Amino acid sequence: MSIQYKSIKNLTSMLQNKEISHKELINETFTLIESKMDLNAFITLNKDAAIEKATLLDSKKNGSSLAGIPIAQKDLFCTKDLRTTCGSNMLSSFIPPYSATVISNLENAGCISVGKTNMDEFAMGSSNETSFYGNVENPWGKNLVPGGSSGGSASAVSSGIVPAATGTDTGGSIRQPASLCGITGLKPTYGRISRWGMIAFASSLDQAGPMARTAEDCAILLNEMCSHDNKDTTSLNEHIPDFTKDIDQPIKGMKIGIVKEFDLSKLDSEVVKVFEESKKHYESLGAEFIEISLPNISLSVPTYYVVAPAECSSNLSRFDGVKFGKRCDDPKNLEDLYIRTRSEGFGDEVKRRILIGSYVLSAGFYDAYYKKAQQVRRLIKNDFDEAFLKVDVLMSPTTRGPAFEAGSKGSDPIQMYLEDLFTIPANLAGLPALSIPNGFVDNKPIGLQLIGNFLEESKLLQFAHNFQKTTDFHLKTPSGENI
Amino acid sequence: MDKKTVTTIAYLSRIALDEGNEDKITTDLENIIKFVDQLDNANVDGIEPLTNPLEKKAQTREDKVTAKNRKDTFLDRAPKSNEDYFLVPRVVE
Repeated sequence: MSIQYKSIKNLTSMLQNKEISHKELINETFTLIESKMDLNAFITLNKDAAIEKATLLDSKKNGSSLAGIPIAQKDLFCTKDLRTTCGSNMLSSFIPPYSATVISNLENAGCISVGKTNMDEFAMGSSNETSFYGNVENPWGKNLVPGGSSGGSASAVSSGIVPAATGTDTGGSIRQPASLCGITGLKPTYGRISRWGMIAFASSLDQAGPMARTAEDCAILLNEMCSHDNKDTTSLNEHIPDFTKDIDQPIKGMKIGIVKEFDLSKLDSEVVKVFEESKKHYESLGAEFIEISLPNISLSVPTYYVVAPAECSSNLSRFDGVKFGKRCDDPKNLEDLYIRTRSEGFGDEVKRRILIGSYVLSAGFYDAYYKKAQQVRRLIKNDFDEAFLKVDVLMSPTTRGPAFEAGSKGSDPIQMYLEDLFTIPANLAGLPALSIPNGFVDNKPIGLQLIGNFLEESKLLQFAHNFQKTTDFHLKTPSGENI
Repeated sequence: MDKKTVTTIAYLSRIALDEGNEDKITTDLENIIKFVDQLDNANVDGIEPLTNPLEKKAQTREDKVTAKNRKDTFLDRAPKSNEDYFLVPRVVE
């Protein structure tokens, strides 16, 4: 029986019923990975260690909740003794001496890390085209981008190679690729999942999260990914609920906000049609719709492109060719070492963002840009606080359209930045948000975004699961058959 | 944003600009800065900056040694080191 496209729930029951052994499951996973190398979804594979762990699981009874489940890890998470590149030439031979807390949490729950997935360099990109290791293919069409920055993770889940992958989301890097690849992806509340061992891009925005075929699988993964971690000073010390507990509860009478300022008239009419149909579907499930005004939300993208580059220029100053990572050949002196290492190690988009960051933080411009962006950030957060007094969740398309062709956004970086128009606000406010498949445009999948109030991942997953119980968009596969 | 400013921020960032590509980089940065200038439309009088969505104080812990000395593990990963130090080109002649 093929394991392709199987959910975590399916695979767990196959393992428990001994329809397949742990080793067979991992061997089959690598057969699938090897048959789909043209996707370029992985940068590094972890075959020997994965088979070893599976063999051990076969020999000894293990009650862990995710025992033997294959998972693909975004190459931004440090993995002990396994190369971690962050999509960059700077870290092309970096072998971390420790694992990120979220990786340890998943592996302690029994997950088997099968490899590290391709991504935009240092998570800066929305199409996976900035990776030093080449573009990733979207399984839904030749030369289509998978989105980014968690493009390899999205492609691996979408093609049915693995049931689950980790991603990170600074401005939409889980939700946008989930939308473009037809899978489910959740960015939790800022601080829910430890950032320790995540290679930092913009520390006040970065958050790890699960990517899977269904909301139910995302809930199962989230249960294991969250923890309070003393090693991350922004890790939340809040009760972690069982995220699967309430997903079956009906949503009748609950309120969904539609953001007035998200101007859908500029979108393709097919995209709007898919969105309107989802609204009708939620109405049929008993949800009520309310128009909500978020007056400052149109400033989200400009705010983000001050805050994120500022934090990035500071975080990436550690890559200096001294303690780890790449160093240029034959440096003439210390300054030459710094400059050539960084110029050879970073790609164009990363350099561009470091330069913007240095500019907005420099003396004379700090108040006009950085301070002002942080003030607008508060206005945006205040808008959300008020909205959640009236509604349970906010709903919008995840992306402006379906997957586009590689190279088609031209050389104007702002066109790519606008790709994250709908996803950036949740990062600025630190709110949880997810994307679920809700239809097709030109035979390409597209996603629906739900944004929740602080710590209300369970409610988001409940809304998503109710949708998926009564629709089949998440069951369609690139190869044409329904699961 | 002009070429001179770009050269200054590139130096501050310890990044060398590709020769022949400086005009494109200057134009890109200029466009991005123009784009973020939309922030001028917001009235932020009296608004406290929001540096972090949690707005909580950073957690502190007791200053106790929690890790083993793993000097060799870390020095091994350096591009150049001896048994005690990270090595860089001579700084003082």
